[in-house]
Amino acid sequence: MTALREAIVLPGIFLTVALLGGLRLDSTVRLAPPTVVALMLAMALLGALARARALAPERLMNSGRPALENVSGLIVLGSLFAASAQMFNLLTPERGLLFVIFSVYFFVQILTALAGVTGRASILRSLAVLFAAAYVLRFVVLESLYAPDSGMLKRLMTTLLQGVSLGSIEYQPNAEGTGYAGLLALVLYMLGLIMLPARGAHSRTASLQRVSQDPSLEREAAR
Amino acid sequence: MRALLPFRSPPSWAAKVSPYETRRRGTFTAEFRGVKVRLAGLALTLAYGGFIIWLYAAQPQTVAQVTGGLASGAGLYRVDAQATADGLVFFRRDAFPEARAAFARADPAQRDAQTQFYIAYSYYREGWGRLYNDDALFTQGLEAVDRAIALAPAHRLVVSDADLLMKSADELRAELVRGITREPSDFNPLKVFRTRK
Repeated sequence: MTALREAIVLPGIFLTVALLGGLRLDSTVRLAPPTVVALMLAMALLGALARARALAPERLMNSGRPALENVSGLIVLGSLFAASAQMFNLLTPERGLLFVIFSVYFFVQILTALAGVTGRASILRSLAVLFAAAYVLRFVVLESLYAPDSGMLKRLMTTLLQGVSLGSIEYQPNAEGTGYAGLLALVLYMLGLIMLPARGAHSRTASLQRVSQDPSLEREAAR
Repeated sequence: MRALLPFRSPPSWAAKVSPYETRRRGTFTAEFRGVKVRLAGLALTLAYGGFIIWLYAAQPQTVAQVTGGLASGAGLYRVDAQATADGLVFFRRDAFPEARAAFARADPAQRDAQTQFYIAYSYYREGWGRLYNDDALFTQGLEAVDRAIALAPAHRLVVSDADLLMKSADELRAELVRGITREPSDFNPLKVFRTRK
């Protein structure tokens, strides 16, 4: 991984996701900090990424790297954690029964990925499907159901749902801009995950680098 | 033949640099460039991360509040003196909505304690009533005076204005809180004789 990608591109992408993930546009602008549940889910997601070899923390921080490179690696990991937490914050409704349902759904999915998914491509595909499905549910289905200018049938349905659930299903719709910002955050986040240093490609690159620095190894190999 | 073509053989100074040395020098240059990129990245990331944390802490509502907050942080924020003067003229004529509009123009980022104090005072004077106070205006006044107190150095704000009976933000805040609190003394008929401060 190049220094440019590690020190500038990845932190830039993940910090932008952390900013956009909390943006809620309505009559006012609000920036929602991540909930405790979102932080826990982000921690589990980082574990799943590392286990599936989509993230190699040892390539970002290890005793063989100079201090400055380790600081860069730490920043990448920290910004990845913040972006992950804000992705869950973005895709989860803010309160009520829907918050619980979405949180449990994410938790089960991440645990399943942690236990079963191996391979970088598999986990990235799985996460893309998980986040895209949650995005559609939150910003297409729920937003259109609870939109202030929705029709009589929709209002009747949401009132019935609220009545059946004894008022525990509540949802605060956002302005359209929130959905657009969320989509941008989602795309950037997936792009950032793809650009993360993965485990496996490291050994060959490191060997080539060692040979290029020490000509005796090259001579030995030729012999 | 070799003597006739001396340029075919490499010059003596070039032979001193071995391919290994060239490669080593190239690696050194690349490493140096890498250090520069990492230092630049570190500075950019810290600045960007700090900006995001500030945004989440300050929760600005408008672009003017974002730019004003940043300018204030750098000590570059200034209120519009002409708009402040206009606001004071309106304020003394009891034209409170006009005064607030002028003060809002003077301090669009809501970063000046004294302007926020006058905005709060205008809500107090407009909402004050001999029989009852306007709770909505008093609540907005309370929000403005809280902003003023938060912005003032050491949270202490005293305004030297002979026209005002309450010169400190603490007095104004206490009066606004009293105004929106329901208590038995609200039903005292002698309250009609009280004066607006």
